[in-house]
Amino acid sequence: MISARLERQQMNLNWRSGIKLTNTIVLALIIPIIIVVIWEFFAVRLDNPALLPKVEAVIDRLAHPFTDLLNTGSYLRHIVISASRVILGFILAMLIGIPLGLLVGRYVLVHRLFSPIIEILRPLCPIAWIPFALVIFKTYTVAEIFGVRYTTSIFGHIQLGMLFVIFYGGFFPVFLNTVHGVKSVKNILIESALLLGADKNQLFRKVIVPSALPAILTGLRIGLGVSWMVIIAAEMLPGSDAGIGYLIMFSYELAEMDILIAGMMLIGAVGAMLSYVVKLIADQTSFWQAKER
Amino acid sequence: MVFLKVDGIRKTFVGEHKEEITAISDLSFHCEEGEFLCIVGPTGCGKTTLLRLIAGLDKPSAGTISIDNRIIEGLNNDATLVFQQYSLFPWRNVINNIGFSLEMKHISRKNRYKEAQYYINLVGLKGFEKAYPYELSGGMQQRVAIARALAYNPKLLLLDEPFGALDERTRHRLQEELLALWQDQKKTVVFVTHNIDEALFLASRILVMRDRPGNIIEAITVNIPRPRDRRSKKFLDLHIGIREILERILTTNRK
Ligand SMILES: Nc1ncnc2c1ncn2[C@@H]1O[C@H](COP(=O)(O)OP(=O)(O)OP(=O)(O)O)[C@@H](O)[C@H]1O
Ligand SMILES: [Mg+2]
Repeated sequence: MISARLERQQMNLNWRSGIKLTNTIVLALIIPIIIVVIWEFFAVRLDNPALLPKVEAVIDRLAHPFTDLLNTGSYLRHIVISASRVILGFILAMLIGIPLGLLVGRYVLVHRLFSPIIEILRPLCPIAWIPFALVIFKTYTVAEIFGVRYTTSIFGHIQLGMLFVIFYGGFFPVFLNTVHGVKSVKNILIESALLLGADKNQLFRKVIVPSALPAILTGLRIGLGVSWMVIIAAEMLPGSDAGIGYLIMFSYELAEMDILIAGMMLIGAVGAMLSYVVKLIADQTSFWQAKER
Repeated sequence: MVFLKVDGIRKTFVGEHKEEITAISDLSFHCEEGEFLCIVGPTGCGKTTLLRLIAGLDKPSAGTISIDNRIIEGLNNDATLVFQQYSLFPWRNVINNIGFSLEMKHISRKNRYKEAQYYINLVGLKGFEKAYPYELSGGMQQRVAIARALAYNPKLLLLDEPFGALDERTRHRLQEELLALWQDQKKTVVFVTHNIDEALFLASRILVMRDRPGNIIEAITVNIPRPRDRRSKKFLDLHIGIREILERILTTNRK
């Protein structure tokens, strides 16, 4: 009797969780489907691809990521160029933001030294730096700096000015979250470590860094997101010769709306993917924090 | 031989409104090597403050604390403290929490694990080596904290109400485990509690503290042979005696 009831409850539960999953998927799809239907409706009514292309045209563009577009290269090429710029610039932001954040979070003196200048620079939008960076760095690329003047490699497309603005955009979230992470390390953990024989150096490596790690990874996720937005904007400005931002600006000038819209979708997808990768790493290393009671 | 000597210490804090709070005033006591000292007293009488001073986490405003006749300045390397609150490293599993102090001494991973395993078995947590603190109950976490402190192998073990949050049965079992460890390892223990029964069961000597300001008003040597029977006449008499002292503190202070 009891087991039969349990079984029924179990079935009920499975059935319910099945419904729940279907519900989630259906709910997630409703809005996009509505948008696509409205889009297609207007595209057919307007019948002007330079204003609003049909859904099929955009899907067709997305289905051919290796095909050359407007003699500038394929979607893949532009994305690889944009992503390389972001990754290189963001690595710089990490290399400086994390150690500096650790020091500022830990040492009052360093905090007093850096916090005024950081508070002044922080509200200044990275995009505002682009004209300045163009003047300072001209259009020098990473390849030229390392002496490979005539090159077709990716590095030939990584302009120092762009690296600078990506660095600038990514730096603050990384830095500020690291500082926050270090400042929120529980005092009881620091005292425990000291009472168990940890020296200054070990305290830093074995307690402060692991304790701040979840916050640091949050900073990385936000920072990478900002860097990705900044690069798209930077590529749309003069002085740019490639990249997915450049491509959508160029397709705007030639009124190629299907290339433009598909490009926008790819920008969104790559941004989501970058965020997802960092989130995966974060979930791996911060599992203890989410479950802490 | 006197091992721990607390000599005329005072500790004042600056309160929120800049007023001076005297947590402890002119407190002195001695502790022999291998003693199991319990400190009981009403809440807020300065028990935690006293342990923090002995551990060297805070500095006394006046007076000295010495171990083996050496006055401690800065952190006390001969002591370790098991805190009143949970203090495990949440990103480390049980074996790595317990092995923390060994890692600080650069002991190889293999030897570290071997030694940590010994303490895991000792506190009865075999099978939980890979568990993380969030997967453990409060009592298990406290046992890990004690094992972690023991693995450091301090001469002086300071415990701040380690069983305060546990139910009576678990509390009694852990008391027995701790006693066995103490007898086995010949350590000096200073154990803070506000539970008279706990103090009587564990201590070779009990210091009773009063509050406002914190000080020791009574030292009671517990001469009951171990294992102690909680229902024996001697146990119950001492229990009533200490209860009366504590009640007197509360009534005189609240007038
Ligand atoms: N950092 C501090 N700043 C200001 N006052 C403090 C500080 N630490 C302790 N006190 C005060 O000192 C007194 C003793 O505190 P302590 O924590 O030592 O008490 P306790 O005996 O451990 O109490 P309990 O049994 O509740 O744990 C209290 O009045 C408390 O308010
Ligand atoms: Mg206390």
